[in-house]
Amino acid sequence: MGKTVIEVNDVTMRFRMNNDRIMSLKEFVTTAIRGKLEYNEFTALDHVSFTVKRGETLGLIGRNGAGKSTMLKVISGILKPTEGTVRTEGNIVPMLELGSGFDFDLTGRENIFLNGAILGYSEAFLKEQYERILEFSELGQFIDTPIRNYSSGMLARLAFSVASMVEPEILIVDEILSVGDAAFQEKSRARMLELMGGGTTVLFVSHSMEQIREMCDKVIWLEQGHVKMAGPTDEVCAKYIL
Amino acid sequence: MEKQQSEEINLRRTIITAILGYVCLVVLFYVLAGHQLHFRASRGNFSQPTAEAGTVELAQGAVVEQSFSVKIQRLQNISVQWGTYYRPNSGTVTMELINQADGSMVLSQTFDAAAITEGGTTTMTAAEPIETVYDAPLLLRIYADSQPGQGASPMMSTSAVQEGFSLSLNGEPAEGVLCFSATGEDYIWTGLHYWEFAAAFGAVLALAAALIWRRHKQGKHSYVVNVLVAMRKYRFLIRQLVSRDFKTKYKRSVLGVFWSFLNPLLTMAVQYVVFSSLFRFDQPYYQVYLIVGIVFFNFFTEATGMALGSIIGNAGLITKVYVPKYIYPLTRVLSSLVNLVISLIPLLLVTVVSGIVPTKAYLLVPFALLCLAVFSLGVGLLLAALMVFFRDVQFLWGVLSMIWMYLTPIFYPASILPEKVAWVLNVNPLYYFITFARTCFMDGISPEPVVYVQCFLMAMGALLVGALVFRKTQDRFVLYL
Repeated sequence: MGKTVIEVNDVTMRFRMNNDRIMSLKEFVTTAIRGKLEYNEFTALDHVSFTVKRGETLGLIGRNGAGKSTMLKVISGILKPTEGTVRTEGNIVPMLELGSGFDFDLTGRENIFLNGAILGYSEAFLKEQYERILEFSELGQFIDTPIRNYSSGMLARLAFSVASMVEPEILIVDEILSVGDAAFQEKSRARMLELMGGGTTVLFVSHSMEQIREMCDKVIWLEQGHVKMAGPTDEVCAKYIL
Repeated sequence: MEKQQSEEINLRRTIITAILGYVCLVVLFYVLAGHQLHFRASRGNFSQPTAEAGTVELAQGAVVEQSFSVKIQRLQNISVQWGTYYRPNSGTVTMELINQADGSMVLSQTFDAAAITEGGTTTMTAAEPIETVYDAPLLLRIYADSQPGQGASPMMSTSAVQEGFSLSLNGEPAEGVLCFSATGEDYIWTGLHYWEFAAAFGAVLALAAALIWRRHKQGKHSYVVNVLVAMRKYRFLIRQLVSRDFKTKYKRSVLGVFWSFLNPLLTMAVQYVVFSSLFRFDQPYYQVYLIVGIVFFNFFTEATGMALGSIIGNAGLITKVYVPKYIYPLTRVLSSLVNLVISLIPLLLVTVVSGIVPTKAYLLVPFALLCLAVFSLGVGLLLAALMVFFRDVQFLWGVLSMIWMYLTPIFYPASILPEKVAWVLNVNPLYYFITFARTCFMDGISPEPVVYVQCFLMAMGALLVGALVFRKTQDRFVLYL
């Protein structure tokens, strides 16, 4: 297919977790003095390697705690792997959880620019795309209202529109496809499919086998930080369900 | 390939702009700093001892002679303090300054005795600063032609002891020192060699630019180029975040941005009323003194306080999108800086209303603001990083910044601090920044060149420490959020 845009090379992610999360200086000092600073090592990812080529849609499946979200965070640069390297090409856009990049005192319009900037888009690009984003979100006149007055459906529509209206090189989706009413859900699903067809590389985490089957070319099945199985969607999904 | 090309052109332009900017700054600074670039108040100035007694009544025939020497490169003023016996006097008094090495008369002036007030001073001023008497044996001779009963008396300190000084009254040696002062200026070494310095530093800059250019040509990544690329890449985001902070700050208040303007004025008014009637500090232009301190310190507390919570507050974003984490404290400091610039308007208003005539030294104030902002950024980075690991930092900082406020002469003059704690001022960077601005605003002159270096080093030091701690810990932030 195309050239490799994501290369995960023998990545290990280990967390050092305190027995109980110490959050204050006093507690830290007192427990340190008593010699009770114990750490539990927890390996979230254990020597994981894979590559993704341009335009591919890769599904990550596995049970809760298998390391899917950690994998996404390592790829997008939020977490630094304990061992191994990750190489990516092009800008990575995560589909944010609803509202996490928003400021509720700003208007919808201001939030489009703020959120767009956080996602790494340029000003010129956002200005050019603004009308399309607005149209897609179906917010109309409400775009100039502070979003604290929005309903949750309106917020979801705005968030999805900003993240998907633009064409990132790598899109990261962590279980958010059911936003808005039925009509908007259908529309956003169509948009996702369109993006995936249009050369964008997508990393997709979901528990819904239906969605995975529908969208992904390749699936990686993680279990307790190991790659349990990797391959074409049908094969892996068939094994996973068993 | 095409992308690379555009970056190269950009780098060339940046280097050229930087060098041109440097030349402009050097010339501008030379003009703005003016006199203060070349001379500073002499370290050898002799200030008047406290008056304890009169000497002799200066009637016809009486003479008071004080021999002394001072290490002043350019002697300008000699003052003497007088007592009048609380009566009107008449006649004239004459002050003469004689260089005992060759017996030449250096300076002399005659004053009307009737104009002398109790505790007042008479000052001889040299038309041209005298440069020949550095550490020379000098004699200050004072005599008068008044009738007995109508002469004034120079004051003296009986307890003061000064090496190499001797006082004689009517030819008789006396214990103590005359209440006189000798002041002047010294040359500043950097001022004498300003252009050499500027050229040398410029050469270093040019060399650095050449090195960066060569590395870039070879396709290596140099630190400076990385910074430039990041600056271009994140410029839009920084602007968005700053305008977000700024818009939301006053979003739901009626007066809005006007509060940035009103806040320092109101604080100043309250403190002015409280302190000028309660303590009566002897500080000329007290209201200007106050508002400079208030505006500067408010910026510091606001910027550091906002930067402190910047990582915690944006936890939702940091755990989901990759953005360099320093962006968050940086934008908080920048949005406080916007506020600071707005609060300069009431500050200028107060100076003008107080009757201070603006001078070109006002244009030097941005240097102090910049140092203050860089310093606050350094402290803010440090606090933001610590805050992630220990949430106690926010409460600790509340107390610390209050202590810091009381240790900084904001509403009191620095001189009221007892000797024992005066060292605190010397290690308080905020005091340097505030004093810098006060010198510009209230005296209308540039501070001494060494103050620029001190301010710069303190700001950079704080930034370095803050940035290092931040950089070292930032990869672990996400685990603690």
